[in-house]
Amino acid sequence: MDEIECVEILLVEDNPLDAELTMRGLKDEKLFNRIVWLKDGQEALDYLYRRGNYATREDIKPGLILLDLKMPRVDGMEVLAALKSEASTKSIPVVIMTSSQEEKDVVKSYDLGANSYVVKPVNFEDLSDVARQAGFYWLAINRRATR
Amino acid sequence: MIFKRPLKSIRLKMLLVLGAVSLLALVVSGTAMMFNDWRSHREVLVGQLNTLADVVSRASAPALSFDDQKAANENLALMAAAPAIKAAALYSAKGVLFAKYIRTGGGAAALPKLPESDGLRAAGDSLVLFKRVIDNNEILGTLYVETINDQKDRMLASLEILLAVLGASMLLAFLVSTQLQKAVTGPILAVADVARQVVDNRDFTLRAKTVSQDETAVLVKAFNAMLDELERRAADLETANRQMAQEVVDRGLAQEALQVSERRYRVLVTTIAAVTWVADTQGAWNEDVSEWTAYTGQRKEEYAGLKWWQAFHADDRATVAQIWERNIAEPLEIVVRLWHQPSGEYRFVSVRAVPNIEGDGTVAEWIGSVSDIHDKRMIEEEVRTLNAELEQRVTVRTAQLEEANHELESFSYSVSHDLRAPVRAVSGFSRILAHDHGHQLGDEGNRLLNIIQGESVRMGALIDDLLTFSRLGRKAIQPSLLNMQDIASSVLHGLTVQYEGTQPTFVKGTLPSAYGDRALITQVWTNLLSNALKFSAKRDQPVIEVGAISEENEYVYFVRDNGAGFDPRYKAKLFGVFQRLHDATEFSGTGVGLALVQRIVTRHGGRVWADSVIDEGATFCFTLPKEVADGRN
Repeated sequence: MDEIECVEILLVEDNPLDAELTMRGLKDEKLFNRIVWLKDGQEALDYLYRRGNYATREDIKPGLILLDLKMPRVDGMEVLAALKSEASTKSIPVVIMTSSQEEKDVVKSYDLGANSYVVKPVNFEDLSDVARQAGFYWLAINRRATR
Repeated sequence: MIFKRPLKSIRLKMLLVLGAVSLLALVVSGTAMMFNDWRSHREVLVGQLNTLADVVSRASAPALSFDDQKAANENLALMAAAPAIKAAALYSAKGVLFAKYIRTGGGAAALPKLPESDGLRAAGDSLVLFKRVIDNNEILGTLYVETINDQKDRMLASLEILLAVLGASMLLAFLVSTQLQKAVTGPILAVADVARQVVDNRDFTLRAKTVSQDETAVLVKAFNAMLDELERRAADLETANRQMAQEVVDRGLAQEALQVSERRYRVLVTTIAAVTWVADTQGAWNEDVSEWTAYTGQRKEEYAGLKWWQAFHADDRATVAQIWERNIAEPLEIVVRLWHQPSGEYRFVSVRAVPNIEGDGTVAEWIGSVSDIHDKRMIEEEVRTLNAELEQRVTVRTAQLEEANHELESFSYSVSHDLRAPVRAVSGFSRILAHDHGHQLGDEGNRLLNIIQGESVRMGALIDDLLTFSRLGRKAIQPSLLNMQDIASSVLHGLTVQYEGTQPTFVKGTLPSAYGDRALITQVWTNLLSNALKFSAKRDQPVIEVGAISEENEYVYFVRDNGAGFDPRYKAKLFGVFQRLHDATEFSGTGVGLALVQRIVTRHGGRVWADSVIDEGATFCFTLPKEVADGRN
């Protein structure tokens, strides 16, 4: 459990309410305490590549990225495309968490290298479940891969 | 005709030939016999006379030398023994009559006064002989003897006999020829008779009979063969005649048809064309074109030759000239403006010209027409303008529609993303409130919080269904042959596995395969079967039946249940979006399912309908065409 606890989860979500609900869902289980919330794509890219406000942060690679698609400035697709084309970030598992059920979004996300695509349910409990499962699954896979 | 009197002709010829031959033979032989008789008789006569004269002269020689007249007369009297002697005389050497004998009643001529030289000559009916009486080379005197010359009578008698023989011969020849005719000319005449009948009656079936085996048989055979040939020819001729007669009739009909056609053509020409004209190879008009004058006001001297082109609009004359200069022997048609005198304006006309091409391929002349198409042209232009406007409007409308579609798409996207977010927040935070502060709210507070949570969930479901519905309107149908049996079975299986109520009894009929979009048709089955399951849930023993009927052009699939059913009065509202015929507390649902079914089936080119009796169940039907749906409904 310690290993999981020290793993950093990146939540990229412009809606603060959705972000709070998601984080609460993950934290309820007291498993994932290190969650970093980034409000849009631009911030996410700055954080990942240690630019701008994040230029001085500790160089820790996040273990999982939960990525919303529709965001101001730089949207989720752009973030996904950027980090999947960069060797240093390519291996980080990305779970798309979005309200969009549009088929073209699903197809495009997988094309760009998303590891999973989750439609945000209206129900809070469902949302927490989705976040937890995605977190467990990808962290477990990632841990195995990095060993 | 040439056979006019054949019988007489041939008979006469036969008779003539036979008669002539007999006559000739008889005359020649008779003449020869008579001549021979006449000569031999004369020789006998002369011989007798000479002998007599010789005897008498010898006997009279002494009498003369002794000048004994008495003895000389006695000697001469001896002549009486020869009845043919008419008279006799002795002349002395001095030529004086010395003795004479004249037969009494003998008709003797007078005695010559003087003796003549020796010789025999005819004198009237007598022969007269003078002979010297010589003794010892001394001429003593001359003997004269006159004797009857009966040669003429003898010849006459012979001639009589000859004539009698000739008569008899001719009679005989006639009889023989009559008999011969039967044998020889009979068959020929029979042939001739048949020939005459054939000619007179035109009956070529007649045949001559073979009577004998000689050359006439050959003739008859040849004649019959000729008749055969004639009969065949006549038949052929008759057939040919009949055909020709028919042909004549046909030609007559054709001629008549041609005339009718020509008349029609003329009427047609005058009705469809304002002007018809004929031009030579150079395009010059040489004939009267009265309609042209009526139309353009040009008199003949104004349009004759090539001047007619001046009636065209100045801007179009170049076109006319250009067309003519091309000089191609092909029909041509141009539309130009022509001066119209009655209305005083240029009007659009269609000028057509067709080359009249001769056998050798050269153009003899051009035949043409001028038709007023002004009104038609104006209407066409108007139509064209209207069409262009319409097209423009369609383009604009299409662009607007596309924009609207695009807007709708972004709207749906916004709905899916932005509308769900607040609902999610309401749901989520009310849950947190209940979780973290539920104990402070009391029973009533928790009840209200539950309502908020339940309704936010329902709101989410409505949004999801609405999104699905709008997405279906945009999704392209990808048809393939669907095994309806498999689809319905797997949908049913999926539904019943999760189903917690009384397991229904399924009656499965045969479901034929049809063309459709797999995902969408699966959705149709899912919605209809889940409805059936839902509305029959309150039955003790729910029964759900699926089946299909094959119609001419489509398959009719149906899902029947024995559930609550619906009031048939509201049938029309059944398939509307968010239309519900049941209370939400009675049966859950958003009211989108059947609207979705209708939308999918309609887009496949099918129909949907339902029938029901309240509390006895409902039957939902949908059709799919047997032909591949194009998916662009």
